[in-house]
Amino acid sequence: MSSLLPFDYFEPTSVKEAAGLLTKHVGKAKVLAGGIDLIPSMRRGRILAEYLVNIQNIPGLAAIEVSGDGAVSFGAMTRLRDLEVSQIVQKTYPALYQAIHQISSVQTKFMGTAVGNICVATPASDVATALFALGAELVVAGEDGERKESMETFCVDYCSNCLGAGEIVTRVILPKPPAGSGTAFMNLIRTHGDIAKVSVAVAVTLADGICRDVKIAVGSAAPTVFRAKQAETVFMDAKVSPDAIESAAEAAAGETQPITDQRSTADYRKEMTRVLVKRALEKAVNRSKA
Amino acid sequence: MADKMAVVGKRVPRWAAHDKVTGAAKFLADIKAPEMLTGKILFSPHAHANIVNIDTSKAEQLPGVEAVITFKDIPKTLYNPNKLDLILVHPELEFKDMYVLSEKARFVGDKIAAVAAVDDATAKKALALIDVEYEVLPAVFDPIAAVAPDAPQLHENAANNTSVHFEFPVAWGDVEAGFGAADVVVEQTFVTAANHICQLEPCTCVASIEASGRLTIWSPSQHAFLHRRKVAEIFGLREGMIKWITPHVGGSFGKYGSLSLEPVCVALAQKTGRPVKITFSREEDLFATEPRQRFLTTAKIGVTKDGHLTALQEKITVDGGAYYTHNSSTAIVNMGGFLGLYRCPNVAAETTCVYSNLHPTGGVRGYGNHEGTCILEQLIDLAAEKIGMDPLELRTKNAKEAGDPSSTGLPMETCTFDALMALGAEKIGWKEKKARPSSTDGKSYGIGMAIMMDVSGAQPFDIQHRNALIKFNEDGSINLLVNAADLGQNLLGTLSQIAAETLGLNYEDVHVVTGDTDSTLYDIGQHASGGAYQIGNAVILAAEDAKTHLLKRAAKKLEVAPEDLDVGNGKVFVVADTSRQISIESVVREAMYNFENDHMNISGKGSFSPIQNPPPFAAVFTEVMVDRETGVVDVLKILYVADPGVALNPATVEGQIEGAIAQSFGYVLTEEYAVNKETGALESDNFNTYKLPSTLDMPDIEVVLHEEPVPSGPYGAKGVGQGAMIAVTPSIANAIYDAVGVLISDMPATPEKILRALNK
Amino acid sequence: MKKTIEAFNINGRVYDAMITPNMTLSELLREELGLTGTKHACGSGECGSCTVLVDGKPVLSCSTLAITVREKEIVTVEGLSQGPKLDPLQKAFVNHGAVQCGFCSPGMLMMATALLKENPNPTRQEVKEGLGGNLCRCTGYVKIVDAVLDAAKENGTGGTQHG
Repeated sequence: MSSLLPFDYFEPTSVKEAAGLLTKHVGKAKVLAGGIDLIPSMRRGRILAEYLVNIQNIPGLAAIEVSGDGAVSFGAMTRLRDLEVSQIVQKTYPALYQAIHQISSVQTKFMGTAVGNICVATPASDVATALFALGAELVVAGEDGERKESMETFCVDYCSNCLGAGEIVTRVILPKPPAGSGTAFMNLIRTHGDIAKVSVAVAVTLADGICRDVKIAVGSAAPTVFRAKQAETVFMDAKVSPDAIESAAEAAAGETQPITDQRSTADYRKEMTRVLVKRALEKAVNRSKA
Repeated sequence: MADKMAVVGKRVPRWAAHDKVTGAAKFLADIKAPEMLTGKILFSPHAHANIVNIDTSKAEQLPGVEAVITFKDIPKTLYNPNKLDLILVHPELEFKDMYVLSEKARFVGDKIAAVAAVDDATAKKALALIDVEYEVLPAVFDPIAAVAPDAPQLHENAANNTSVHFEFPVAWGDVEAGFGAADVVVEQTFVTAANHICQLEPCTCVASIEASGRLTIWSPSQHAFLHRRKVAEIFGLREGMIKWITPHVGGSFGKYGSLSLEPVCVALAQKTGRPVKITFSREEDLFATEPRQRFLTTAKIGVTKDGHLTALQEKITVDGGAYYTHNSSTAIVNMGGFLGLYRCPNVAAETTCVYSNLHPTGGVRGYGNHEGTCILEQLIDLAAEKIGMDPLELRTKNAKEAGDPSSTGLPMETCTFDALMALGAEKIGWKEKKARPSSTDGKSYGIGMAIMMDVSGAQPFDIQHRNALIKFNEDGSINLLVNAADLGQNLLGTLSQIAAETLGLNYEDVHVVTGDTDSTLYDIGQHASGGAYQIGNAVILAAEDAKTHLLKRAAKKLEVAPEDLDVGNGKVFVVADTSRQISIESVVREAMYNFENDHMNISGKGSFSPIQNPPPFAAVFTEVMVDRETGVVDVLKILYVADPGVALNPATVEGQIEGAIAQSFGYVLTEEYAVNKETGALESDNFNTYKLPSTLDMPDIEVVLHEEPVPSGPYGAKGVGQGAMIAVTPSIANAIYDAVGVLISDMPATPEKILRALNK
Repeated sequence: MKKTIEAFNINGRVYDAMITPNMTLSELLREELGLTGTKHACGSGECGSCTVLVDGKPVLSCSTLAITVREKEIVTVEGLSQGPKLDPLQKAFVNHGAVQCGFCSPGMLMMATALLKENPNPTRQEVKEGLGGNLCRCTGYVKIVDAVLDAAKENGTGGTQHG
């Protein structure tokens, strides 16, 4: 009766139990969080899972929390929708809010988790692009304990993350944005319901018209989402001006390794990286002044 | 007109609306029969290959597998899934080149084998156990390469992969002289998009053999009787041994003018003796049901500097894929639309149909007129620009009028192009917006327009034969028996309105009986927007037949002559003195339970075949804003001015147009049927890659109905649904051209293409 | 893989069904329980035709495993009306001509139900954002959005609100 191949199914009630199951069935087990990417991929035969570990029933993985130092964190079972409607996210991390809000399927947002999205490690993730620019950190838990990874160290290669056997991401930590900072997210898409051709997220911190911190993240233009480090170097410590923005944007375009696929061409992606970085920087700079 | 009517012209709820909003309405995939098996098809992974051997033994031995069939198990009857060979007055161009299961693989997705098993998982496993030995052959993926002398040949009887070359018979004048007499000649090549209609319900079919040997088929086909005959011919059956049922269909838009899964289902049902259901996945629906033709077209227009057309010429190469299907018929409609839209003294067109190892194509919304008119309307704008004339003025100067022949060659009872163009131009503010400077801070504004005429059926080219039966129930309600597939177009609600109006009944007192060849009279089926116009007329005839009996019996009761009576509000009344009346119910009931040996179940029968073919007309105006830095087109507004004759149900007419606008939007801007040119496999095979517009993508839409009744139409109505995309597509393309001067000759008009053209 | 009998709370009624973990909620509803109102059109989470409510939240039943919702309250399109009495959304869909072929309608109705529960007085843009994940090929969406706005007004003037 089913369109999915058979698998053994578990409902662990703790992270440790989940980690243990993943270790035991290493290479053959998949984590079920939202399922919005996993189930369709299993139907198409793109993902084979002989064991499915459902983490939906593990307590403490869903909450959005603010810590003492002002950092905001959310968990492996925090749904995209929860982040979208969160006042804290909307006010403090507009780039993340924008990246989620522009996902057109409400059902996908009710089901899908940000962590699940990140773990796919596709370069074509708007959420991951925003998190790169926000300097997000991931808490990785295994049987033996926890460690932290940055988005860059987590996304190793095309659809490949750094998780080892028996490890899951339990929390995402967003540092408190310093005063004088502004963020922006934008992308180009065929339809509202499509994956982006190119997406860009930037975060800038200005003091007296000079850039004191900048993160420029680009999605769908390389094997992973990446930080355009050369562009950041160009813009860092520069007096903010149209020329400085243009130079940073050109540098960012030079750092892309885009491909031609069904959604777009390599040339277009490269050129649009320049355009979107320019526009995003302009927007982020304006927001930083507000 | 509508205000004099009681039911016609009203926004009454569509037929079966209650069932559809409660989930009670049964679609193909919802059909279940006892002991039903799941069928699945094995498709060729190769674009071109000989089948050396097929070993089905392992699949057959898998527990739960009831049948495995291949080419050797099916009747060797060549057929064309398109139904036109049965009804065309001149069927010579309808070639048959397809078997139920192919003897040779001609495209990635060709049907090679099929299984019937107890469930989905077993059927899938069985497919994997079928061992096919292919001899892979070189493949061709474009028509130019396909006709080259050394090209691999797809079909034995089509040298150079060419199935036919012909000149369009309805031509006149001398085009060479015409171009000679022109001040400006514009020639342009276009390639039209192999767009897929993506109806929301994946293709599904069920076939069942009764103990008596009678076959029941549940099918989404738009032509129950025609396709029943085809299946009968393929399998050597008699039509009366087949009961063809059409449940609610989740969208067709012309696609099920072709047979799809029925023959394979029947073959499996015959082999197993059990009901078999095949449901396509979305992927299978995309690669194994028909997209549109790729018409490779060179189009030429000649105009004088004062804006008169001197000549129109179209040369088409139909790249219709691996099988013939609708190749020549869509080309004929394409050419007819291109040559016939405007007044022009010299016209000619020709078509070559070519095979390639691409997906076979079908006849969906517009049926070639969509592509032909789009190309023509783009040429008109190019010509207008060359002579420095407003494209609205160029159209007005050459527009046809009442009495002129339509694109079918039949004289038009009405023609409202002038009124529609004037109305639309005024509403959208054409003059001011055309004069607007286009570029401000990197964004370019553009406004474009197009007109179209389509059809109310396929006369005079095809038999168009319709029948309707009406019978009264004792309570004064009627059953209306017609065979009219419910594809979503609310034809059945519209026909109910016509019946109710004619018999003076409430809309709710019409009970529709449909979708079953056992209980309805013959109907050629839904195509070319012929339903409302043609079956509507049959329904009027049936209603008037029943009314004759009603009035005759009522006249006796009321002691007047039948000519003194009419019906309305459920009553038969004396026209000269409406207080003298009798309920229709009482007349019917008394006739049914008659103690004077004068029984009658009052009923009526109507049979109709059209003489006229009144075209629906439209003028569409579109505004866009193009971002010159990204090439992204933002459609600001689409204004659709339509002349449907009479809107039998305005909500239905508007709904058809609004839906067509969304389909045009996707055709022009977002939908790409992406085939891998190395392998011939479809890469855009689900909605994550083949992008349909959602509500968020849709621009501001306004539909204005300008009704001019046609005398030959039922209550003055014409067809609506098929033609509703035709003018929208070129209006968007023309708006883009107005904005940034980029001609889109191969859609979709992606930002990548636009930016590349801008940067040239 | 284990076959188990589980109880499901659907439209206020308890159904017992034999399931395996790899059965989707859509398959449970349509194949096991004969509740064919919920449609299946793409299987990849892109079209919204399979939308049902799980504890009031709109989810895609084609991408949800049945075993994961066995303790939740599920509402399908069959649960919207009270016998022959249509709820305000269904009535509005009928009255506005928002139904053509009807294949997207159950998913649209379920998503709109969730939308109006969360936001009883949406703007036109908010309705469109709410329906962004529901594809329709027949209507162009205009009358569907009109119908949802009308139902919202209905609810506001004291029409029965579906919970």
